[in-house]
Amino acid sequence: MSFFGFGQSAEISIALDGQENRRTAEIKTEDGKREKYYLYFDGETVSGNVNIALKKKGSKLEHQGIKIEFIGQIELYYDRGNHHEFTSLVKELVRPGELTHDANLNFEFSQVEKPYESYTGANVRLRYFLRVTIVKRLSDVVKEQDIVVHTLSQYPELNSSIKMEVGIEDCLHIEFEYNKSKYHLKDVIVGKIYFLLVRIKIKHMELQVIKRETTGTGPNTFNENETIAKYEIMDGAPVRGESIPIRLFLSGYELTPTMKDINKKFSVRYYLNLVLVDEEERRYFKQQEITIFRRADKVRKNYQAALSHHNPSLLSDGGGSGKSQYQNTEEADTKEKEDDEVNNEEDAK
Amino acid sequence: MPTTPQLSPQEEQEKLLEEALNVVRTQAFQMKRCLDKGRLMDGLKHASTMLGELRTSLLSPKSYYECYMAISDELRHLEMYLVDEFQKGRKVADLYELVQYAGNIVPRLYLLITVGTVYIKSNELSRKDILKDLVEMCRGVQHPLRGLFLRNYLLQCTKNVLPDAVEDQSTENSGGQSGTVMDSVDFIQLNFAEMNKLWVRMQHQGHSRDRERRENERRELRILVGTNLVRLSQLECIDIDKFKQSVLPGVLEQVVNCKDAIAQEYLMECVIQVFPDDFHLQSLSSFLRACAELHPNVNVKNIIIALIDRLASFAQNEEGSGIPSEIQLFDIFSQQISQVIQNRPDMPPEDIVSLQVALINLALKCYPDKVDYVDKVLETTEDIFNRLNLDHVEHGSPVSKELMRLMKIPVDTYNNILTVLELQHFGPLFEYFDYKGRQLMSCHIINNALENETMIPAQENVDAILNIVNCMVQDQNDQPEEPDDPEDFAEEQGLMGRFIHLLQSEDPNQQFLILNTARKHFGAGGDKRIKFTLPPIVFAAYRLAIRYKQLSDEDENWEKKCQKIFQFCHQTIGALIKAEQAEIPLRLFLQGSLVAGQIGFENSETVAYEFLSQAFSIYEDEISDSKAQLAAITLIIGTLEQMSCFGEENQEPLFTQCALAASKLLKKPDQCRGVSVSSHLFWSGFSQAKDGEFHDGKRVSDCLKKGVKIANQCMDSSVQVQLFVEVLNHYIFFFEKGCEQISVQVLNQIISKIRELLPNLESNEETEQINKHFKNTLEHLQLKLDNAETAEQYSGLVL
Repeated sequence: MSFFGFGQSAEISIALDGQENRRTAEIKTEDGKREKYYLYFDGETVSGNVNIALKKKGSKLEHQGIKIEFIGQIELYYDRGNHHEFTSLVKELVRPGELTHDANLNFEFSQVEKPYESYTGANVRLRYFLRVTIVKRLSDVVKEQDIVVHTLSQYPELNSSIKMEVGIEDCLHIEFEYNKSKYHLKDVIVGKIYFLLVRIKIKHMELQVIKRETTGTGPNTFNENETIAKYEIMDGAPVRGESIPIRLFLSGYELTPTMKDINKKFSVRYYLNLVLVDEEERRYFKQQEITIFRRADKVRKNYQAALSHHNPSLLSDGGGSGKSQYQNTEEADTKEKEDDEVNNEEDAK
Repeated sequence: MPTTPQLSPQEEQEKLLEEALNVVRTQAFQMKRCLDKGRLMDGLKHASTMLGELRTSLLSPKSYYECYMAISDELRHLEMYLVDEFQKGRKVADLYELVQYAGNIVPRLYLLITVGTVYIKSNELSRKDILKDLVEMCRGVQHPLRGLFLRNYLLQCTKNVLPDAVEDQSTENSGGQSGTVMDSVDFIQLNFAEMNKLWVRMQHQGHSRDRERRENERRELRILVGTNLVRLSQLECIDIDKFKQSVLPGVLEQVVNCKDAIAQEYLMECVIQVFPDDFHLQSLSSFLRACAELHPNVNVKNIIIALIDRLASFAQNEEGSGIPSEIQLFDIFSQQISQVIQNRPDMPPEDIVSLQVALINLALKCYPDKVDYVDKVLETTEDIFNRLNLDHVEHGSPVSKELMRLMKIPVDTYNNILTVLELQHFGPLFEYFDYKGRQLMSCHIINNALENETMIPAQENVDAILNIVNCMVQDQNDQPEEPDDPEDFAEEQGLMGRFIHLLQSEDPNQQFLILNTARKHFGAGGDKRIKFTLPPIVFAAYRLAIRYKQLSDEDENWEKKCQKIFQFCHQTIGALIKAEQAEIPLRLFLQGSLVAGQIGFENSETVAYEFLSQAFSIYEDEISDSKAQLAAITLIIGTLEQMSCFGEENQEPLFTQCALAASKLLKKPDQCRGVSVSSHLFWSGFSQAKDGEFHDGKRVSDCLKKGVKIANQCMDSSVQVQLFVEVLNHYIFFFEKGCEQISVQVLNQIISKIRELLPNLESNEETEQINKHFKNTLEHLQLKLDNAETAEQYSGLVL
C-alpha cells in the first residue's frame, strides 16, 4: 500500500491448492454478515501460491523480504489491542531484494495443527488466516486470507442419557429424559417428560437450547447467554401419569460444537433448558448441559431419525436409581430463582 | 366522550371467529399462490401461520370447530399438492423432518399429520411406523379442546390409509402397505384413549359454577371421541374373534376406567350403535359386565335397554338365522342385569323396573314361546320389590308407570289372557299396585280379552282372572272414600258385563261351574255392581239351559240340570231384588219364564209359572211409577202372549190377572192402553185346549169396548182423541184378523167419533201428530177398500 500514490506497489493474491474442489464453510463476521471461506481440518496441509502483481509495469519493487504466515488467533472484543495468537507459523517466500516482475510463489505449511474451531461469538472471535507481507521500509504490503477450520470429533464412546427427577414439593414432580448427553450438530434430541405430580396449571412447556459464551477469567469473566432454540413441546395442562414426547432436530439451528476453555480465553457451552409456564406466567425450568460436537459428514441418515422415539424402557429403568435422583429435587431451580432467568432472557433478546 | 359499546359474549365470539377466519383466508390464499409457483417452503410457512389460529384459547368449542373446519379444508389443498408432487416423482426429501422444525406444537403437528398422510399415500415409507409416530407425537397437545381437534384431524386424514389386512402386505418398495389390521386397532385405540382422557379432563377444568355450560360443551364435542369407535367398526378385517379379544376389551377398559358419567354413557351407546349385532351377541357378557362397573351417575338402564332393543329387533328382522341357539341371550341379560342392580344400591326403583321391561321385551321378542322367561322377569321384579320393601306402588309415580308398562307387555303381546294366567307371578306382582293402578290395569286386561274375544273355558281360569281384577269385582280395602264418577263406574262395570259373555266352555257342566264361580265373585260386588254383572250371568245361564235341551239326547240328567239352572237363576235374580232393583229382575223373570216354557223340561210349567208370578209380585210390590207400571204390564202381557206351556188351570188366572191389573192402573189413559193391549191375550195367546191361538172374539171385543169406555172418560180431549185413534187401530187389527165380534159399524162409529172431536183440538204439535196418525189409519183403510180382494169385507165403511 502506498500512502502517497507514488513508488511501486503490488497486488497480492493467494490461491490455495485444490481450491476449486475444496469445500467452503460459512462463518459470521464480527458485524454479523456471513462469509464463505475454504474449509480446513486439523492436521491438514495448507499450501498454495501467492501471486504478486506489480501495479506499475517496468518499475521495480524494493523490499526487505516477502513472508507468509499462518495464524490462529483469538480476539476478545473488549480487548481489541491484544490478539492472542495460539498458532503462528512463518515461511519466508523471498529474501530481501527487488521485484521486477510479477511473481508467483509457492508455499506450504504441511500438516498444520489447527486445534480449535473457527468461531464468531458475541464477545470473542477465533479465526485462522494466512497473511502475506511484503516488508517495506515505510509501509508493508499485507494481504490476509481467512480460512475456516472445523474440528471433527469421534462419536463419543460414552454417551449416556440424561435422566432426572426434579420437582417442587407438593407442587410439581417430573422425570425427564434426553436420550444422550452428547449430540452432534445435525443430531436429533429425543426424549420424554413424565409427569409424576401436577398441582399447578401448566399452560405450556418448551425446550430451549441455550448457548453460553464465557470469556475472561476470574473476576473478569463475562457470560453471554443466547437462546438458540425455543421449541414448544407441550400445549395445555397435563395430568399425573402423562408422558410427553420430545423430538428436536438440531440441524434447524445455528450451533457450534461445545468449546471448553479454548486457550484459557473462552468457552462455549450448550444447555437444554426445559421450561414450564403456568397460567399465571410463572416459569419453572431446569437446565442440563449437553455437549455438541461436529461429526464427519456421513451418508444421509435414514428417515427413521425423523420419527425416532425415545426408548421407553429407559424410563422404567429409572426406578432403580430413583433415590439419588430424588436428591436433585432440592437442586431444582425454583420459582424464586426464576426471575433472574426471565430477566436474562429479556437481556439476551 | 363516546363509549365503546360493550359486546355480548356471543358477539365477542363472532368477532373473534371472523378475525380468525380472515387470517385463515389470507394465509390460505398465499399458501396456494406459493404452491402454484412451486415454492413449497413458502407455502408451508403460510400453512403454519394459518394453523397458528388453532392455538387460540379464546374461541368457544363451536367457533373453534368452525375455524378448524375452514383450516382442514385448506390443508386438503396442501395435501393434494404434495400427493401430486410425489406422484410426479418429485422427491420432497426430508419433508417429514422439515415440518418438525416449526417452533409451535399445534401447527407443527397438523403439518406433520398432513405430510405423514402424504408419505403413506405415496407408498414412500412404512405406514405402520408413520401412524405410530403420529399418534404418539400428538401427546404433546394436552389442552383438551385443541388436542381433541388435532386428534380428530389425525383420524380424518388417516381414514383411508389404515392397514386393513390380516397379513402384512408390505414389500420393499411399498412401505405404504405395511401393517395389519391389528396395527390399526392399536392406533385407533391409543388415539381413542388419549381423546377420551382429554374429553374427560374438560369436566374438571375451570370454575365449578360453569359446570352446566362445560357439560354442554362436552356434549357438543362427543362426536369427536366417538369417531374413533366408528373407525374401529369400519375395519373390515375385524372378525368376531378379534372383536372379542382385542377391540372390545380395549374400548371397555378405557370406558370403565375413565370414571366419567358423560363419557361412559355416550361411549357405551356408541359401542352398541357402531358394531354389528352378531358381534354384540358374541360378547354380551363382557359388555354387560362393564355396564355393571359404570359410574353411579350413568344411566345404565338406557344403555342396556338400547342393547336389548337392538338385539330384540335383530332377532326379529334376521331372516332364518335369528339368535344362535348356543347363546343364552335371556339368561345372560338376566344375570348381568341383576348384577348391575346389585352394584347400584341407589338405583331408583323405576329404573330397575324399566330394565325388567327391556328384559321382558327381549324374552317376548326372542323367545316368544318361553312363557317361563317372562315369568322369571316378573318373579325377579317381585323379589326386588320385596327387597326394597316396596309394597305400595302409588299411582302416577314413576315406578308405577314403569310397572304398568312391564305388566301390560305380556297382556298386549300374548293378546290372550289365558297365557297371561300361566305366569305364576303376574297375580302377586299385580298386588303391588295401589287401588287406582289396579283399576287401570284391570280395565286394560279386560279390554284386551274383549278385543281379542278370548274365551275363558274353565272354572279355575275364571277364578284366577277375577282374583286378579278383583278391584273391579268387589270393594277394596284401599279404595278411596269418594266414589268413582258414576259414568266411569258404569263404563267399567259395563266392561265386566261384556266380559262375562266370554266365560264360555264347550262343556255345559264346566260352564255351569264357571257360572257358579262367577256368581260367587260377582255376588260379592255390592248393590252398585251387581246390576251390571248379575244379569249377564242369568242370561248365560238361560243360554246354558237351552244348550242342555239341545243335548238332551246325550245327557239323561238334562232336565234335572235345567231345574238346577233355574234355581240358580231364581236365586241370582233374588239377589238383585234385594239390591232394590225392580225392572231388571222383572225382565229377567219374564225371560226365564219364556225360556223355561220353550225348553219344556219335566217341571218347566211350574218353573215358568213361578217366574211369571215372581214377575207379577215385583210388578205389584216394587213398581210404583205409573209409566213403569204400564211398561211392566205390557211386558208381562207380551211375555204371556208368547208362551205356550200353560195348561188352562194356570193360564186362566194369569190372563185374568193381567186384564185385571191393566184395568186397575191408576191413570185413565194407562188403563185404556193396558186394557187394549190385554185384548191380544185372548186372540193370539196359546190355548192348549185348541192347540193353537185362542181367538176368543168376545173377550177381545169386551176388552176393546172397555177401552173405548175408559177413553170416553178422559178429560183431556187431546189425550182422548189419541186414545180413540189407538183403540181404532186395535179394532182394525182384529177386524182384519177376522174377529167376528167386530163389525164395520163399530169402526164407523169410532171414526165418526174421532172426526167429531178432532177439529176441536187446539192446533199444536201434538194435535198434528194425532191427526197424522189418524190420517195414516184412514189411508190404510182406503187401501183396503180399493183393493178388490178386501173391498167386500170393508163394504159399508165410511171414510
